[in-house]
Amino acid sequence: MTAPDRMRLGLPDLGIGVGLRLPHYEEIFETRPKVDWLEIISENFLVPGGVPLANLDRALANYPVIQHGVSLSIGGTTPIDFDFLRSLRALLRRTKSPWVSDHLCWTGIATVNTHDLLPLPYTADVVRHVAARARIVQDTLEVPLVLENVSSYLTYTSSEMTEWDFFRAVVEEANCGVLLDVNNIYVSSQNHGFDPNAYVDAIPAERVVQIHLAGHTNYGDYIIDTHSGPVIDPVWDLYRRAIRRVGPVSTLIEWDEDIPPLATLLAEAERARVVREEVLSHAK
Amino acid sequence: MRNDLASVQAFLASVIPSRTPVTGDPALAETAARFVAGNTRLTPAAQVDIYRRQFWYRHREILNDDFPALARLLGEPTMDAFCRDFLDAHPPAHAPFHKMIEPVPSFAATWPGFETDARRTFAADMARYEVAMLDVRASADAPPLDPQKLASLPEDAWERARIVLHPAVRRLVFSYPVHRIRKAWLVAGEPAIVPENPSPAHIALYRNRELVTHFEELEPEAFTLLGLLAEGVPLVPALGQLAEPLPEEQQHHVASSVGRWFQQWTALGIVVDVDLPSSS
Repeated sequence: MTAPDRMRLGLPDLGIGVGLRLPHYEEIFETRPKVDWLEIISENFLVPGGVPLANLDRALANYPVIQHGVSLSIGGTTPIDFDFLRSLRALLRRTKSPWVSDHLCWTGIATVNTHDLLPLPYTADVVRHVAARARIVQDTLEVPLVLENVSSYLTYTSSEMTEWDFFRAVVEEANCGVLLDVNNIYVSSQNHGFDPNAYVDAIPAERVVQIHLAGHTNYGDYIIDTHSGPVIDPVWDLYRRAIRRVGPVSTLIEWDEDIPPLATLLAEAERARVVREEVLSHAK
Repeated sequence: MRNDLASVQAFLASVIPSRTPVTGDPALAETAARFVAGNTRLTPAAQVDIYRRQFWYRHREILNDDFPALARLLGEPTMDAFCRDFLDAHPPAHAPFHKMIEPVPSFAATWPGFETDARRTFAADMARYEVAMLDVRASADAPPLDPQKLASLPEDAWERARIVLHPAVRRLVFSYPVHRIRKAWLVAGEPAIVPENPSPAHIALYRNRELVTHFEELEPEAFTLLGLLAEGVPLVPALGQLAEPLPEEQQHHVASSVGRWFQQWTALGIVVDVDLPSSS
């Protein structure tokens, strides 16, 4: 793990991690591979007990675990679900995750949950709406909230600023952290025709506490963030650019579809470690 | 038309779960264009349809993952039709997937896509069993029964003591022995053949101390007794309630079996405590 003096928003650089996924549980618990930390999908562990929490405890016995969520719906227009936040907070007591992340998106309305991460219109009104909710969430959870940029497959007629200006405005008004998903930046840049480097360059570096790397699926007319396959070279280039800008930041490989053998995932994590160290050593 | 956040979200939430492409409906496509910008490659409606397709792929995968035996029974095309109809009838309203799948058994019990009533009954049983398996896997934990506490109970304790069952125990009655059939299909790899005739089964589904889910087949009387204990009725009054409507021969059977049942339930971890209220 990196020295504790490398902190941003008071949060440590944990090094290189991987997303903890079911097919890898036993091998990770038995062999304790060399990764610095694990990320869990919080919702998979919001259960009363049994197998999921026993597995979580096995992970916690050997690794720092960070909670990453998918159903906060911070940009939703339905009231904040405080029962959900209470469950998240209870899980935080178990994991001792120093921050909790979720997506800058909305997932549904009162009667329909799409279980998807839908983009928001990039407007000043929506900035205020999301930031107000994020402050409440952060106060309730009592750990820093870290918001992640999503991949998007549509843009809105009502948007009045770029995605990166919107992202910056939200995290600054809410005073929360950034989980910079560089694959999502790449996917959205290809879908909407913007320069991904401009996005990376505009992110408030001092707020970036985590980076996500993943693969995706290119359908020709559009790209979907499937978290399948290895990270592609242009995304590695974006990662280099991000690390040059923000310095040593906890970095995670996500792989959720066509999940490969653990060795393949670990090799991808090792590549992230090498890339990160190369960039950081050049920066010295 | 309003273009505020709530209106945008209401529109998208209304079309994303739909099975009809937005591109195929001129009125919807026109509405989509008011909210969604599109680009040189994709119209606004085509962009919305990406999310609509993703909705279907995601929820089809969840239903297939959570109901593997039901999927095996139906086969891929029919399972797809079942999932489509289910999502039309019960669009997910909550984030937790367990809430989304709760109505699957009752939906299966009335779904018109089955060839016969018998298959429908079988499918509903199987769906109920698969929901219970997921439920048992993640239900609350409980410390094991303390044998010393059991040994130290006074003789009259069973008149008053509430027998506490593990919170993960589920009692299930089926028209078909789906618990055995599911194991044969998915574990032993046997062909997915539905029995010609029903064969009712009473089971307790539970998690052992190693957190592995098992079923235990119960005699109907044992099943009823376990239900009374789960409701908090102490053992002796529960036995009284159980025996009262039974013919004499069955009453003798219950009396001679209850010790064996109780030992079995404690050994399996189904019984985890005996709560003796204070006499005051």
